Amino acid sequence: MRKLRIFFIIIIIILILLFFNRLLEPKYATSLVEGSMISQYYNESKDHEVIFIGDCEVYANFSPMVMYERQGIKSYIRGSSQQLIWQSYYILEETLKYETPKVVVYNVNAMRYSEPVSEAYNRLTIDYMKWSKQKVNIIKASMTKEENMLYYVFPLLRYHSRFDELSLEDINYFWHGKSNTFNGFLVNKNVKPVESLPTQKPLGNYKFADICYDYLNKITKLCKEHNIKLVLIKAPSLYPYWYDEYDKQIAEYAENNNIDYYNLKNYTSEIGIDFSTDTYDAGLHLNLNGATKLSNFFADLLVENYDLTNFKNDSLYEKKLIEYKNFIQ
Amino acid sequence: MVINSLLLIISILIYASFGVQNLFFILFSIISAFFAGKYINNGKHKKCAFILTIFFNIFILVLFKMLPYTKASIIAPLGVSYYTLQIVSYLVDVYKGKYEPEKNFLNFALYIAYIPHLFIGPISRYENMKTCLFGKKKLTFENILNGLLRISFGLVKKFIIADRIAILIATLTNGDAKYVGAYALASMVFYAIEIYADFSGGIDIVLGISKMLGINLEENFDSPYFSESIKEFWRRWHISLSSWLKDYIYIPLGGNRKGTLRKNINLLITFTVSGLWHGVNYIVWGILNGIFVMFGDKWKTKYKTLNRLITFIIICFLWSFYICPNPVTAINMIISVFTHFNYADFGANILNLGLNLASFIVLAIFTCLLFIYDGNKSKLLPKILNAKPETKVALIGLLLICVLVLGIYGIGFNVNSFIYSNF
Repeated sequence: MRKLRIFFIIIIIILILLFFNRLLEPKYATSLVEGSMISQYYNESKDHEVIFIGDCEVYANFSPMVMYERQGIKSYIRGSSQQLIWQSYYILEETLKYETPKVVVYNVNAMRYSEPVSEAYNRLTIDYMKWSKQKVNIIKASMTKEENMLYYVFPLLRYHSRFDELSLEDINYFWHGKSNTFNGFLVNKNVKPVESLPTQKPLGNYKFADICYDYLNKITKLCKEHNIKLVLIKAPSLYPYWYDEYDKQIAEYAENNNIDYYNLKNYTSEIGIDFSTDTYDAGLHLNLNGATKLSNFFADLLVENYDLTNFKNDSLYEKKLIEYKNFIQ
Repeated sequence: MVINSLLLIISILIYASFGVQNLFFILFSIISAFFAGKYINNGKHKKCAFILTIFFNIFILVLFKMLPYTKASIIAPLGVSYYTLQIVSYLVDVYKGKYEPEKNFLNFALYIAYIPHLFIGPISRYENMKTCLFGKKKLTFENILNGLLRISFGLVKKFIIADRIAILIATLTNGDAKYVGAYALASMVFYAIEIYADFSGGIDIVLGISKMLGINLEENFDSPYFSESIKEFWRRWHISLSSWLKDYIYIPLGGNRKGTLRKNINLLITFTVSGLWHGVNYIVWGILNGIFVMFGDKWKTKYKTLNRLITFIIICFLWSFYICPNPVTAINMIISVFTHFNYADFGANILNLGLNLASFIVLAIFTCLLFIYDGNKSKLLPKILNAKPETKVALIGLLLICVLVLGIYGIGFNVNSFIYSNF
């Protein structure tokens, strides 16, 4: 009887720990919403023909709902803030457990980063991934020196200091997170026109790191293994972080591997982007207007070049489209 | 025997992980003291062997105490302050014939190198350790629960109280000229709580680990902030050091047997050694404590609470010599309490010192609980120790949850090592 009582007490202690583990974890529902994007995919239907992977340049610049309305494309953006290339690889690997799209679009901006940038960005991408081999690998590949696998396994060890900043958000979204995107597109209606841009600083070495090529090769191989057409893109941005030398390396890689590559900055006038009205942060990312224009253009490009199905009149997507239109109005 | 050998191997391995070169010093101390002990018991030149062994061991300790004040970048071996005193007490007792020297080298090595007490003490005596450390270990469920309970208490003190106050102390002692007057007083009071929670918390963990193994180490604290005089405080604070100083410095000097003047001189010498043991910077702190101990209990009133309050205030002022880099800064800090009446400013800025309101509330609650427990230890401790196992499990769980949720640790916090592990 005593052993049973002790067992019961230990169970209660574990439950209390699990409660605090969840309570103190950031919910990313009303602030830092980028942290909730990766998990929203799990609630989606898994019948997409196009999957986007990459950093903010995909989730801010492409609207799957616009692409559906334009060409009947079912697509999803598995993007996240500062998504590093090894993170993109493992996210793609995880996605392929659920579905096999016809086209994977990878935004190559993260080729610039050869090592983990910050714990905060890691967290936004990894925190709400489902536990799997991919999650373990993404953590191992992404941890900064200060981080520890235990902090990911038991978020309480990392987030316990939040006890003095708990808010209603932590109660309201205790059980379920909040959906903040439309198929991974984070809507931003603000307008902040370009006024001045930083000057492009010359670099000592423009060659992408070996680790980035290794993961790009892995992405290429994974797509080939699943008979998926890989498309490399560089989203349009006026900030001078993407050098011509970078662009040449990607173009060369694409040619050598028989992959299509589009630097969409070169198509700005065809797309019709006006950086005095179509950006929310003075030229770094597109706003809703800009994303709508880019998505229309890209939907046409995809349909022209790849064998995609027109899913127009799909009841689920039609419903989503109405919700999307109501939201952006 | 197997468990002792295993304990020794684990102790040596952990010790080596802090720097293999440190092994040289501790092995020298163990080997020299073990064979000197045997020789002192039977040898012809026992006085010579006794003095030489003590000299070399003390020399190593003094050398490492002095090195931080030179340009040398050598770090003192872990626990040198603790195991050197153990070796001295062992050799003195063997020399005086108090007990036979240890015959088993492994047992003696374990007595010196037993890893839990090398971090933070207590300074264990051979006669006490002989029975509990060398004897048969009792790995019982009750010992494990009592050990875990003690460890949980220690973790609460360290991670919820001490390391939280450390954030305040870091702000209050950052050299900003505005932190005088009320801020200085606050830093002294906060530090008094921090060093107690930190040191006694560490000792709780050491005693708890030992208890789990069936080893009963001596208590090192007895509710020191409930003392009614500084003299009493030193009977209840760092008991193993105080009693060591009494037995191996104060009494051999003559203690109180040679008149008041000599007694006072002996006290001053003893407390100067105490200060020196903590480091050259702490000599003034040691002498001042000695002066207050000299006053004894004569000033005490008939009101216990008032005596305790006055003693606590004196202790707080004395801790300023611990916080400040030199005695002049400490004296200026104390003077500022009486010359800068910036209490309103302190009240308005208290939430800008590194802790927000919620964190202050947590600190206040757990500090109150600590003092309530200390004040009622004689009633509470037996109740806790005699509680049903399921009650103990629940208490351990509750304390660990508090540590995990409210503790100061992990990324974003500058985790402090135990203050007394530096000595």
